[in-house]
Amino acid sequence: MHTQEKTQQDDIMSLVKGVKKGDREAFMILTQLYQRKIFQLAYSYLHNKEDALDIVQETFLRFHQKAHLFHEGKNFQNWLLQMAKNICIDYYRKHRKRDNELRREENIEEVHHTSHTSSRHDHPSDLKEIFSRCLEKLSEKQRMIFVMKHYNHLHYSEIAQILDIALGTVKSLHFKAVRNLRTHMSPYMGRMG
Amino acid sequence: MKDCKKTNRNLVAFLYDELSDREKKQVAAHLETCQKCVEEVRQLEKVQEVADSLNADMEKALATVDWENLPSQIVDGVFDPKPARIRRSRRDGLRPFLLQPRFRLAYIGLLLGIVVGAVVTFLIFRSPPLQVTAEGKIIVPQGFYDKMELEMARRETIDYLDRSEYLLLDFIQSSPENSVEFWQSDYASRRAIDLLSKKKYIDPQLDKIKLAKAKAICDQIELLFFELIRISDELSAEELKKIKRLIEERQLLLKIKLVRRELQKSEA
Repeated sequence: MHTQEKTQQDDIMSLVKGVKKGDREAFMILTQLYQRKIFQLAYSYLHNKEDALDIVQETFLRFHQKAHLFHEGKNFQNWLLQMAKNICIDYYRKHRKRDNELRREENIEEVHHTSHTSSRHDHPSDLKEIFSRCLEKLSEKQRMIFVMKHYNHLHYSEIAQILDIALGTVKSLHFKAVRNLRTHMSPYMGRMG
Repeated sequence: MKDCKKTNRNLVAFLYDELSDREKKQVAAHLETCQKCVEEVRQLEKVQEVADSLNADMEKALATVDWENLPSQIVDGVFDPKPARIRRSRRDGLRPFLLQPRFRLAYIGLLLGIVVGAVVTFLIFRSPPLQVTAEGKIIVPQGFYDKMELEMARRETIDYLDRSEYLLLDFIQSSPENSVEFWQSDYASRRAIDLLSKKKYIDPQLDKIKLAKAKAICDQIELLFFELIRISDELSAEELKKIKRLIEERQLLLKIKLVRRELQKSEA
């Protein structure tokens, strides 16, 4: 298992070396390998397909520009996801925050209204909407860790590497993220039965 | 109680399978005995369930993306950025068009226009403009200052000649019997004295005009008025008549007119 992983890492490294030399084919293979991972991260963070596709494109563009900064021995996937994460955060700050605030203001009344008047078996999309908004109430780091763990199924050690923080910090922030989500969700939890 | 606190901190990691085997066993053992922590796990599982509901959206989005073609689109975008390609092709297309022989005359005309325009602009703006220092002082270029002084001298001289002409005309037109009274009157003597003092004032300026005729005529007028004022009491009507004739013979008034016209023409 360990040997297989090592071979895989070597293959990736040789592809990255190819990209550094301007090898189009190597770049294409790496794009095929990691496009879904980046899309999943971006989609779970931004909840929008077009935005997520923009992030995928931007991440690979940046990878091409900064390929020379990648050093042997580093985990390529984590390095790429680190770039994607930074782009996601920048994108969210630039484009989405204001939109979400507006949307939240528009819908908050509506959601409260539904929560008081509806029966215990509401439409599942309402809960999705509420959860989505609760997720946005989390701090940037807590949200990113929750997304990476829950939707991208990354291990704590990988998240620690991507975010460049200690393993214990990841564990603690993940715990806080889930607990905060439960607190934010508690007024609506009754509907789940 | 202490166990509850410790377990509680590990519950999220337990649900996400991030605990070591030993830790997992500890949590599992605690959950068998603690109803409160079991309830906590249930609550956290509900959060997980709701979070999972977003997974369906993501799966839907993942299914609609064209994963086959996306890499080649990205590669094209990175290796052949479209805007750059468009710019290059536009430039390539524009160069042969602009270098056609039929545009040569137009280019020569344009070049000449630019050269002539540059020369004219240089001639117009060659004297440096007024400069204002940080303290608000205005620095006047030397050339401008000289021109201003020359203009002042010119105007003062014209004024002097005007007034002299009027006084001399009054004198010439006065009747022979009244000539003596004329110069003895306050009116004429005051005007003559004024003119004499003005002459003293414009003397240094007359040098600047660089017009010998103007200086000569002004000097003559000065001398005439000086003598008339000084000796008018002792002069008889006959002598004053001679002076009038002398003025007419020497065409002093005509000379004044000519010099004045010349000065007026040479306005800076």
